[in-house]
Amino acid sequence: MQTVTITLNQKIVSGQAGMTILEIAQDAGLDIPTLCHDPILQPAGACRLCLVENEETGALLASCVTTATPGMVINTNSHRVLQHRRNIVKLMLASHPDACLICDKGNRCRLQQIATELGLGFNELERIPQPAAIEELNPFIVRDTAKCVMCGKCIRACQEIIVEGAIDYYGRGFTTRPATFNDTPLENSECTFCGLCVALCPTGALMEKEKPYLGTTRFSVQSTCSYCGCGCPVKLEIKDNWIVRVTPGGLGSANRGEICMRGSYGFDYIHSPERLTKPLLKVNGELKEASWEEALKAAGEGLKRIKEQYGPDALAVYGSSKCTNEENYLLQKFARTVLETNNVDNGSSLYNLATRVGLRNATGLLSTTNLLEALEEADLILVAGADPTITAPRLGYAIKRAVKNRQAKLILIEPRRTHLTFFAHQWLRPRPGSDPALFNSIIRAVIDESLCRMEYVSRQTEGFPVLVEALDKLLPESTALITGVSAEKTREAARIYARANKSVIVFGSGLTCTVNGAESIKALANLALLTENVWGKGCGIYPALKENNAQGACEMGAIPEYLPGYQPVTEPESRRKFERLWKKKIPSRPGMHVAEALNRGEETPLKAIYVVGENLDSTLNHSKRMIESSSGLEFMIVQDLFFTSTAEHANVVLPAASFAEKEGSYTNFEGRIGWLQQAFPPVGESLPDWEIILRLAEEMGSPLPYSSLQQVIHEIEEFVPLYEGYYHPEEYLEDKWSYWDERRDRAFQVLKGFPRFSAPKDLSPRIPIPEGYPFYLFLEASLAYFGTGTRSSKTWRLKSFYPKKVLKISPEDAERLSFTGGNQVRVMSPYSHLQTAVEISDAIPPGTVSLPTSFPGVAELFGTALGIEKTVPPPEACYVNLERVNPDG
Amino acid sequence: MVNQNTPREIDLNRLKEIVSSYEEQRWSLIPLVQAIQEEFGFIPPPAVPVIAGRLKIFPSEVQGVVSFYTQLYTEPRGKNIVRVCRGTACHVRGGKTILKLVKRQLELEENETSEDLEYTLETVACLGVCALSPTMVINNRVYGHMNPKRVKEIFKQKEAQP
Repeated sequence: MQTVTITLNQKIVSGQAGMTILEIAQDAGLDIPTLCHDPILQPAGACRLCLVENEETGALLASCVTTATPGMVINTNSHRVLQHRRNIVKLMLASHPDACLICDKGNRCRLQQIATELGLGFNELERIPQPAAIEELNPFIVRDTAKCVMCGKCIRACQEIIVEGAIDYYGRGFTTRPATFNDTPLENSECTFCGLCVALCPTGALMEKEKPYLGTTRFSVQSTCSYCGCGCPVKLEIKDNWIVRVTPGGLGSANRGEICMRGSYGFDYIHSPERLTKPLLKVNGELKEASWEEALKAAGEGLKRIKEQYGPDALAVYGSSKCTNEENYLLQKFARTVLETNNVDNGSSLYNLATRVGLRNATGLLSTTNLLEALEEADLILVAGADPTITAPRLGYAIKRAVKNRQAKLILIEPRRTHLTFFAHQWLRPRPGSDPALFNSIIRAVIDESLCRMEYVSRQTEGFPVLVEALDKLLPESTALITGVSAEKTREAARIYARANKSVIVFGSGLTCTVNGAESIKALANLALLTENVWGKGCGIYPALKENNAQGACEMGAIPEYLPGYQPVTEPESRRKFERLWKKKIPSRPGMHVAEALNRGEETPLKAIYVVGENLDSTLNHSKRMIESSSGLEFMIVQDLFFTSTAEHANVVLPAASFAEKEGSYTNFEGRIGWLQQAFPPVGESLPDWEIILRLAEEMGSPLPYSSLQQVIHEIEEFVPLYEGYYHPEEYLEDKWSYWDERRDRAFQVLKGFPRFSAPKDLSPRIPIPEGYPFYLFLEASLAYFGTGTRSSKTWRLKSFYPKKVLKISPEDAERLSFTGGNQVRVMSPYSHLQTAVEISDAIPPGTVSLPTSFPGVAELFGTALGIEKTVPPPEACYVNLERVNPDG
Repeated sequence: MVNQNTPREIDLNRLKEIVSSYEEQRWSLIPLVQAIQEEFGFIPPPAVPVIAGRLKIFPSEVQGVVSFYTQLYTEPRGKNIVRVCRGTACHVRGGKTILKLVKRQLELEENETSEDLEYTLETVACLGVCALSPTMVINNRVYGHMNPKRVKEIFKQKEAQP
């Protein structure tokens, strides 16, 4: 890399060619004031405060947009520079309200800081009156454009990083200001309330709505967001053991300031008065507060009793994809060495088992085959059955950036209109459940038109002839009748996909949570293999995992068939390795998928279950009825932050600490590790999950040999593949800790050979439509409601922003049934029914309706079906019938 | 600019036709909004999302560009555009009074358009025909040496025209 040397305030300094004067000065430790500059944004040169003087020519240059050239002689603090800088700030102050004393931005205001540094207070300039604040009803952001200094950071953040484009400059000259389309309040605009603009705003123009105002924070800790699989680094700003606000956490390639509504505003469940603060124990059919000793004794005795009476395989541990890696490691060790069963599972199995099964032959791992920034190098992105802008926002941002900044093409395969439709080059709307048929006909077209990379396929993959033979019988025209996508459109998608130089496939729960999920994923993996788009820059397969540690929980072995690091429990070799370490025999039979075992209702082979951080009651459809009626289940321990509906049926309830109150690590869907730092001690008597597990093991007479979390971390570092030397809590944002090459090597080890094509079992699987229930029901995810709502319902901002409780119906169906918006209807499935108002929406295709996931009781409409390899019950496709309530009244 | 066709309701199909005749590129934006203004006399707000969808630019960005250029209008404009000069020479010779009279005559303030879409009143900084001051322009015709009587006469004549 070429260097450039300049003279800066009489000192010789150098930097890399292409750096701006500001960057070189900052590297040299010089502080040049600026309001509009941020390293994550494109430089704009808007505020002019970073003026410096070129001592040779006398020119005043905005240092943030001036590239340093060799031999420049620059003064950042000359008399002239200071004079101009003062004048600029004076002009800003003249049109800025003197409201510092009552402004919530307080000491964080950059304008105030700079004015103070320059010694400016009241000045002689005539004041320019400013418009009043904008009335906003949303619970997240307050806007006061009177305090805006037009630095444009919010606009650049919204367009460059989040790619939502909710705001842009409006008007010209003095009246210019950032505004939404049609100048509406934010809640009526495209704004997703990610909060990045608020975090970047240098003045009080954009602020969090605080309730109540908590004042200046004293310190902050680096942490990792506890919601979706993106695992964004966040900074928790703390005052008096209270999180005042959450901001994007530090810069590094792991995150360029990206954050979403949940990350920025979904934290106050931690301080909810509903948090469990004491253990509860069921005495005479009623749960009563108890001491830790009593609760653990009862828990231990309960498990021991069942184990002695029915054997170890009557016990199960249902771990959490929200607990840390260390806790999941301990949980599976607890199951395998203390309970002596492989019946250990985690909540993510419900939606990612299809991914695990579908990718088994092609990539060997349940994970993306590339990092997120590699996705932005793609020429083509195929998104199927996913709206990552909601379920995994950072993945959504990356897709939008690729389309907007690099003109990548987007093929969207999704029946509903989503936030990505605007960006799509081609939008295919297959009928619900027909995805595998569509993918297979795309593959058939790729093969027919000789668009496969045959050199790669023949030398580095296996099973191609079997795939060709299996697809031989596929008839594109009759498949088109099933999918509703014309053969011509299908062929066009195939051509666009296969002809692109580098392609990426993204999929989500729209595929994985269906009965044919695994078939869909297999087909997508085949497509990626055919075109050599699995590994390498700009290529890859990206499953959009829903929860922050779904990846880590599986890699730590909290699944029935694998020991930590995807080492099959059936292989004596991998068992021996852990048996030597744990000094215990590990059962060789793979465990049960706990959800499936529970779903058998009264015939369940399980007698006792230890549930950690999951609300079975709402994650498993039908499970409410199942848990309530299950006479088979004799003993249940629930360990959670809140008294969930599952906890109501528990014998022992143990209070757990939240992510801000403990230490540990999460693994995001790219395989990046994010660390937690304890911000304050756990509330009440609650304890971190890892500590509870250790105490319970001790209570049961088989203590696990750790006296600190550090010892657990050391063991993981030594024995879990992919986690060698993963303990870097200080520097984890840096690229060197992404382990990417190790991950790919590990994938090939797991595959034990070349990637293999998987022949489809059924060329055009269909979901039978039950008689009398003509409408397919979609569940519509939203940013504010996450998972089963345990946490989001205890977060005031998110809770007040749940989507409207309405049933969406297509204009065609509404007309046919003579429904108008606002009509009350009864929605009936074979299992349950509910009543709601109708909203007509052209976002969904005819023959379907949609309800928000946050709608109370919506899960009960669904039945359960044995899906993937007869293991886990994915939500059965749900068909409903509609009936007007009081059509005359 | 004379617009024979300035309805408040716009023909969405015609709009889509115009929009789809432009390439899906960012740089199409200015020529496209000019073409829309040529057709409808202004940029109707419902056109913005249609333009945005075609060019893959955010509606807020399209609005930003439209609101920046003074020659782009978001409101329908009158059949007759009246521009009264506020240049120095006109000012000295009573341009301010002429403007006041035109306002009274048309019952319009500056930059307003009449209900019936007959007139739009604007002012200009200088028309460059100071020898004829005070001046005003209706559509492309310049009226010089204005006085209160002429104001009345000119608009009376205009109204008499079919």
